[in-house]
Amino acid sequence: MENHLTENELIEYRFGLSSQEQQSISSEHLAGCAECRERLEQLIKKFAALDLLREDTHVSEELISEVLEQAGQPVHRKIVPFYKSPWTGAVAAALVACFVLLMSNLNIDKSTQQQFAREPKSEDKIASKGPGAKGESQADSPMKIIAQDTESKIQMPFTGESTSESISEQLPFAPASAIELVTLPRRDKVQLTIYKSADLTLVRERRNLTLKKGWNWLQFMWANTLIDPTSLSLEPLEQAGKIDIQQLVFPARLRELGRWLIRSEISGQVPFEITYFTSGLSWRAFYMGTLSQNEKTMKMQGYVRLGNNSGEDYDNAQTRLIVGQVHILDEIAQLARRQYPYDRPGIIDYDESAFKKGVSVTNEEYQTGRLGQRQNWFADLKAKEIKKEGLSEYFLYTIDGTETIPNEWGKRLLSFEADDIAVESLYKYDEERWGNQAIRFVKFTNDDKHNLGQTPIPNGDVKIYSYADEQSYLSYVGGTEIKYIPVDEKVELNLGPARLVKIEPKLMDFKTENYIFDNRANVSGWDEIRSWKIEITNTRTLPIQIEITRGFGTAYWTLQSETTYEKYDATHARFILELEPRSKQTLEYTVRTYHGTREESLTE
Amino acid sequence: MENTDKSLIDAHRRGDPTAFGELVRRYGDSVLGYLIRMSGNREQAEDLFQETFKRVHEKAHTFRGPQFKGWLFQIATRVALDGFRQGKRIKAVSLNQQLDCNNPNSDQLGAVAVVDNSYNPSEQALKAEQAEQVRQAIQLLPERQRATLVLAYYQQLSYSDVAKVLGCSVGTVKTQMFRALKTLAQKLPEI
Repeated sequence: MENHLTENELIEYRFGLSSQEQQSISSEHLAGCAECRERLEQLIKKFAALDLLREDTHVSEELISEVLEQAGQPVHRKIVPFYKSPWTGAVAAALVACFVLLMSNLNIDKSTQQQFAREPKSEDKIASKGPGAKGESQADSPMKIIAQDTESKIQMPFTGESTSESISEQLPFAPASAIELVTLPRRDKVQLTIYKSADLTLVRERRNLTLKKGWNWLQFMWANTLIDPTSLSLEPLEQAGKIDIQQLVFPARLRELGRWLIRSEISGQVPFEITYFTSGLSWRAFYMGTLSQNEKTMKMQGYVRLGNNSGEDYDNAQTRLIVGQVHILDEIAQLARRQYPYDRPGIIDYDESAFKKGVSVTNEEYQTGRLGQRQNWFADLKAKEIKKEGLSEYFLYTIDGTETIPNEWGKRLLSFEADDIAVESLYKYDEERWGNQAIRFVKFTNDDKHNLGQTPIPNGDVKIYSYADEQSYLSYVGGTEIKYIPVDEKVELNLGPARLVKIEPKLMDFKTENYIFDNRANVSGWDEIRSWKIEITNTRTLPIQIEITRGFGTAYWTLQSETTYEKYDATHARFILELEPRSKQTLEYTVRTYHGTREESLTE
Repeated sequence: MENTDKSLIDAHRRGDPTAFGELVRRYGDSVLGYLIRMSGNREQAEDLFQETFKRVHEKAHTFRGPQFKGWLFQIATRVALDGFRQGKRIKAVSLNQQLDCNNPNSDQLGAVAVVDNSYNPSEQALKAEQAEQVRQAIQLLPERQRATLVLAYYQQLSYSDVAKVLGCSVGTVKTQMFRALKTLAQKLPEI
C-alpha cells in the first residue's frame, strides 16, 4: 500500500488531534496497512512511558487543614474517642500525669522554668512549613542557615559538659537523607565593613548554633544574594578546643549552598562567627553647606547614604565605612555569581537582567512583614554619631549603634555637622578654563581653625545654599562634587558661573617691534606688545574678591601694570582684586611677548 | 444525594462553613496531581495548591459556572504559571525538605514516580529511573505545552475544556499538544 501515514499523522490520529475527516481517512488506512498499524503500536508503546507518572495523588489531611485554615474555614478534624482506642487513652493519661508533675514543680525553680519557656521558639519555627511559614524574617530571607546533625534529634540547652560517648572517627559522607533539624539560628550580631571603592563588604555575623555531640552539618545558602561563596569562614567563639570545623563542601548539583562539617565534643548552644564577602552594599557621602548672609561663614552637614542591593536584609547591623582604595583580585559581584564548583576566580557569564530581577522579588507576605519592621525603624530614626579612625592607608568610619538596612533600601545618616566654618567667597576668571565668565568659589580649609579637621572628608556631592533674607529663607547657590580632602588641606568648592560679576577684557593696542634678521634677511625674532583693559563689574551687594588669570601662550613675556600681579606659572600671570559692593574697577596691563631669537634677550 | 459543585460553591458564597471544605476534598487530589506534574516538585506543588484554593476562596463570588472543575483548573494554571515565574527568581528551600546529596532530585520525584512492589528491586530502580526521565522530559516542555499535556493527558480533560482552562482556542490547544508530543517522542525512554 502506498502513501503510508507519517509520524505526525500517526501522533494526530493516536491523540485525536486531526479533524474528523482526517481521523476517518487514517482509520481506513490503518485497517488495511499492517506496516502503519505496527508503527502506530510502536508509537503507543513509546507514549506509554507517560503512564509512569500516572499515579493517583492524595492530598494529605494536614494540607487540607492548612488550606481551610488559610481560608478561615473551620477545620474538620478526626476525633477518636479515648474509649475506642485503649492506647490513646494511655497516652492521654500519661500526658495528664506529666502536666500534674509539671505544675507541682512550678514553684520550685521559677528561673529554670522561664529559661525553658524561652527555648521552644526555634522548634515552633521548625514545626512550621518551611517556605510557607511566615512571621520570621529569617525564613523569608534569601540567605539561610540550616544546622543539622547526623546523630541526634533532640535540642537541648548547652550544659558545658561533654558526655562520655565516643564519636565515630569516620567522616560522614553527606547529611542524612532525612534532615534532623536542630535549630534555625538568627543572627545575634552582624557587622558590615563596606569598602566603597571596590564594591566589597566584609560581613561578620555571630549566630548561636545548637550542636550535638558528634558530627554536625551546617548548611549555608546564598541564593539570590551577592555573597562570594569562596570567602565563607566559620569559627566557634567559645569551646574552640572541643569544636573542630572539618570542611566546607559545595555539594554537586545542589546550587548556591555550602555545608560545613563540624565535629563537636559537646552538646548545646555555641556562638559562632561567620564571615564572608558580599557585594551590592554601598555608601556615598554628600554634603550640604549653608552660607551666612554675609557669606563669611558656612554651616556644613555631612551625610552618608547607605544602599543595600546585596539581596540580603541586614537587621541591626553595626556598620563601618572604609574610605580609600582597596586592591582586590576579583570583583566580588562576579565571584558571587559564579557557578559550582566555586574553585577558582574567573570571569563568568551571567544574565544581568535576570539577576537583577532575582534580587528584586519578594512575596506579598514578605513585603508586608518587612514593611512593619521598616516603619519601626523609621520611628526610631535619630541622629547617629559616626566615629572615625585612621586605618593604614584607609580611613574607617563607624556608625554609632546599629542600623537595619533591608535589601533594596537606602538610608541616610548624618556624618558630621560643623557650624561657623570661616569661608572665603572667591570669584575666578580664566578664559582658558571657563571661557568669558567668572566662576564662583567658596574656600575653606579642613582644619581645626575652621571647626573641621577631625577626619578626612570623603568625596561626594556638595550643595551650597545661602540665607536669602533676614527671614532665613534659603536660596540655592550651586553644587559641585568634591574629591577626598585630607586633614589640613584647602578646599575650593566650584559653585558655577557667577551672573552678578562681569568681566570684560578688551584689547586696546597691539604692535610688534624689535625685529631681528638673519643672514638671509629673514625675520628671526620680534616682540609683540598688547595692551589690555579689563573692566570688572560687581553688581552684588557684598564686596568680592576676584582672581583674574591671564595666559600669554609663551613662557617669554614681561608685564607692566599698576595693579599688583603674580607670576602664576611660566605662561600665566594672576591678578587679585577686591571690589566694593555695586562697583566697577578697571584693570590695565601691557604684556610684551618675545618670539624667535628675541627670546634669548629675555634670558640674558 | 451528593451536592453538585454549583450547589457547594453557592453554599460557600452564602457562608456555609463546610461547603468549601467539601470542594477542597472533592478536587484536592486531581488539583494536586496536576500541580505536581506541572511543577515536578511536590513541595512546590503543595504551595501552589494552597494558593490555588486561597484564590478559589477569594474569587468564589466571581464564579459564573457552569463547570466548576474547568474554573478551578483555570485558577490552578494561573497560579502555577505565576509561581514558576516567581520561582525562577526566588529559590526557597523548606526546612523540612528531604535532602540527599546522592540524589538531588529526591525531594522532587517521590510523589509521582510509580513504584510497584510487584517488581523486584532492580526493576523498581529501572522504573524509577525511567519515571525520572519522563518527568524531566515533561519539565523541559514550555509551560503552555506542559499545561496542555497534563490537562489533556493526565487530567483527561477534553481539548475544548483545556481550551477553556487555558483561555485559548481548541486549535491552539491541539497545536500545543502536538508540539509537546513531538518533543516527547524524541525524549521518552523505551520501556
